Amino acid sequence: MVIFGVLRSGLYSLTSVGLALAVGVVGIVNFAHGEFLMLGAFLGYWLFFSYGLDPLAAIPIGAAVVFLLGAGVYRLGIQRVLRAPELNQMLLTFGISIFLQNLAIILWGGDPRVATVSYKASAVSLGALTVGVPQLVVFALAMALTLALYAVLGGTRIGKAMRAVAQNRLGASLLGIEVDRIYLLAFGLSTALAGTAGMMITLQLSVSPFIGLLYTLKAFAIIVIAGLGNINGVIYASLVLGLSEAFVEFYVPQGGGWAEGVFFFLILLVLLVRPRGLFR
Amino acid sequence: MTGRTLGRALVGAAIAAAVLLPLAFQGTQPYYLQLAINVLISATLALSWDLLARTGQLSLAHAAFYGLGAYTSVLLTTRAGVPVLLGMAAGALVASAAAVLLGFLTLRLRGIYFAIATLAFSETLRVITNQLPFTGRATGLIAPALLGGQRAAQYLVILVILVVLVIVSGWINRSRWHFAFTAIRTNEEVAAVIGVDVVRFKVLAFAISACFAGVVGAYYAHVFLFISPLEVYSLAVSVGALVAPIFGGLYTTAGPLIGAVVLRAGEELLRSTVGGGYPIIYGFLLAVVILYMPRGLAGLWSAASARLFRRRPLREARAG
Amino acid sequence: MSLLALAGVTKAFGGLVAVSDLSLEVRPGEIFALIGPNGAGKSTTFNLISGLFAPDSGRIGFDGADVTAAPPAKRAHLGIGRTFQVMQPFHDMTVMENVLVGELFGHAVPKSMAAARSDAAEICALVGLAHLADRPATALGVADLKRLEIARALATHPRLLLLDEVMAGLTPTEARQAVTAIKAIRDRGTTVLLIDHVMSSVRDLAERVAVLNFGRKIAEGSFAEVAADPLVIEAYLGTESDDQVESDGDHGQH
Repeated sequence: MVIFGVLRSGLYSLTSVGLALAVGVVGIVNFAHGEFLMLGAFLGYWLFFSYGLDPLAAIPIGAAVVFLLGAGVYRLGIQRVLRAPELNQMLLTFGISIFLQNLAIILWGGDPRVATVSYKASAVSLGALTVGVPQLVVFALAMALTLALYAVLGGTRIGKAMRAVAQNRLGASLLGIEVDRIYLLAFGLSTALAGTAGMMITLQLSVSPFIGLLYTLKAFAIIVIAGLGNINGVIYASLVLGLSEAFVEFYVPQGGGWAEGVFFFLILLVLLVRPRGLFR
Repeated sequence: MTGRTLGRALVGAAIAAAVLLPLAFQGTQPYYLQLAINVLISATLALSWDLLARTGQLSLAHAAFYGLGAYTSVLLTTRAGVPVLLGMAAGALVASAAAVLLGFLTLRLRGIYFAIATLAFSETLRVITNQLPFTGRATGLIAPALLGGQRAAQYLVILVILVVLVIVSGWINRSRWHFAFTAIRTNEEVAAVIGVDVVRFKVLAFAISACFAGVVGAYYAHVFLFISPLEVYSLAVSVGALVAPIFGGLYTTAGPLIGAVVLRAGEELLRSTVGGGYPIIYGFLLAVVILYMPRGLAGLWSAASARLFRRRPLREARAG
Repeated sequence: MSLLALAGVTKAFGGLVAVSDLSLEVRPGEIFALIGPNGAGKSTTFNLISGLFAPDSGRIGFDGADVTAAPPAKRAHLGIGRTFQVMQPFHDMTVMENVLVGELFGHAVPKSMAAARSDAAEICALVGLAHLADRPATALGVADLKRLEIARALATHPRLLLLDEVMAGLTPTEARQAVTAIKAIRDRGTTVLLIDHVMSSVRDLAERVAVLNFGRKIAEGSFAEVAADPLVIEAYLGTESDDQVESDGDHGQH
């Protein structure tokens, strides 16, 4: 059970770290985050379907496309509300989310699509357990990307600029950092990360226009658990969610359905008890 | 000013006509009656959501109260033989009680935290209802009909509910409650220091808002005769309830109503063309309103009429 | 017999102690000033008195009653009023409506709407805002916003008025007007406890002064006494000198 929880948390990390980036650096809680994931997933599916391209291999393409999409959304809309009350921002991204989700429904229909990759069903035994190869690969890749992001934030000039902006917008601009450009990059990066996670999902699960909201909310749960703006805590928070879900699935009768609600429950719990997050 | 009273009388007459028209057509074009019922349901949800928004609590839990009202009523009427109207009242009561609970729980949460917590509350209810055999799980429940299924009579019921809500909303906006709500919405801490009993007003707003959402939820159940978690606890309900006031003009009585009517009309139009993706209009309008007309339709009207009639815009309503 | 009494009040945020074992008394009818360098704990003290924060330890007494656990609205009804350093009008309302909120809700026994409206109009006239009564609160300049803050606090008919840095951002002429106005408020029966950095105004107003530094009271007495106190001088050394008019962008902690 622990293994499954951990494996799942890898993907969750990747999904949420993008949102944490948007919240921490740009300061916007992007309700539409999951829709970018969904779009990435559809893109991965389409590339696989039309060109036989393995979703994992197509990640660079997908990431780039979603990045551009995200940058576009930023320029067209997000940029304008950064100075507006927080609630306006929330409502705008909420509106964008509804728009994108239904756009997908209109364009591609509401039925789930599945991409059957050749090694989808193959499994590996680790001791007494059999673990699916796709799950392992996704986990490894997701964790690698998450850690790579941490490295970028910590090591590169742009990464440091992002952290500076996250901590103190005014101070950063006084240091000569072009804050608006950083916002654009950070937002684009956050959506690209979501899109990448989406392409990984194509590998494991079915793709439908409705998965966006679910992942947005799970990502919310994770960043709330980690503490809004706390990018480093995301990995631990993802573990919390992944393990909790696995726990419920295994030990609660008919756990599958209940597990779907675990993150809501966690959100409520954290917000009511320790709104600042568990991993500050 | 006779000009103004005449204007008001005309508007009143137009509304009365519009409201009674569907009844006239019920024999030949029953579709209009059905549509009118749907519009009034949306209008009630929108205005009741707005009541809560006046205290600065922008909730995503409206569907929770809608659903609670529906399920309470259906369970009571089908399992305990309670008459339908009583069931509806019970639904309203349960919804209000839940709102008081949620209100107290979320007292210290602001803005986005508050929204997420309310959303989590609503979705938790959906998941629980989906899982428990007692509530019929995903398959849902069948409900007995209100007033024997007579559409005209049912229409009058929702009309009465809406009128009561309009009176309540108007009264709130004209009394000292308006100042309390606005003060809390604008600056809760300062309001408290000035002497406003913030807790009381916030929780009360929640209860009243949920009461109407609950009764409408129950109404929906007994008119459409079937409920399921996906339908009544769906995010679409909460979204519809919040986009209409934002579009039409927040914190007013007319704004949410106008918004609801326009949106529902647009929705019907879209449904015939794009089918399942019709909520796209909500998303689009929400984004457009936030970006380009934060005061909604009422704000546009008020700015325009100020220029036309040289009157200062009255209550200014702004999103956020 | 004191009107306000703090006894051993302590408040810490995480690891940072903002106010430490503070005891002070404000007597009815006096003008008392609380001064100290930035970060000394002055605003925190105001928040503790008005009820926005709860002390970690200690007691707060008002007119004989223990208000340590009382919520802010209750304290307003008992007679504690305050203004805010960063001006916070109710921006969706007009000037008159802002004051009206105070009249409607600031009393233990609620007034009728009509009485509240006429009293609010009176207070607007008193502070010199009558001509601006129907303008939106957001249209006001700095000095008028301060008047509004005070008017709104006065609308609750406080026995004790907490003034949080009213002098900041005022021209010397406006500052003198403010001093006259505050003295008039006191003469009408309201005790005043004020925080300020503009020393000339403090000197003109305050009968007694307490000095805070790093959350502790380091001196208390008349203005002349504390100004000569070596501890006080040392606390202020290196910060801005007296009589400097602060811009209202000062968000420093007290």
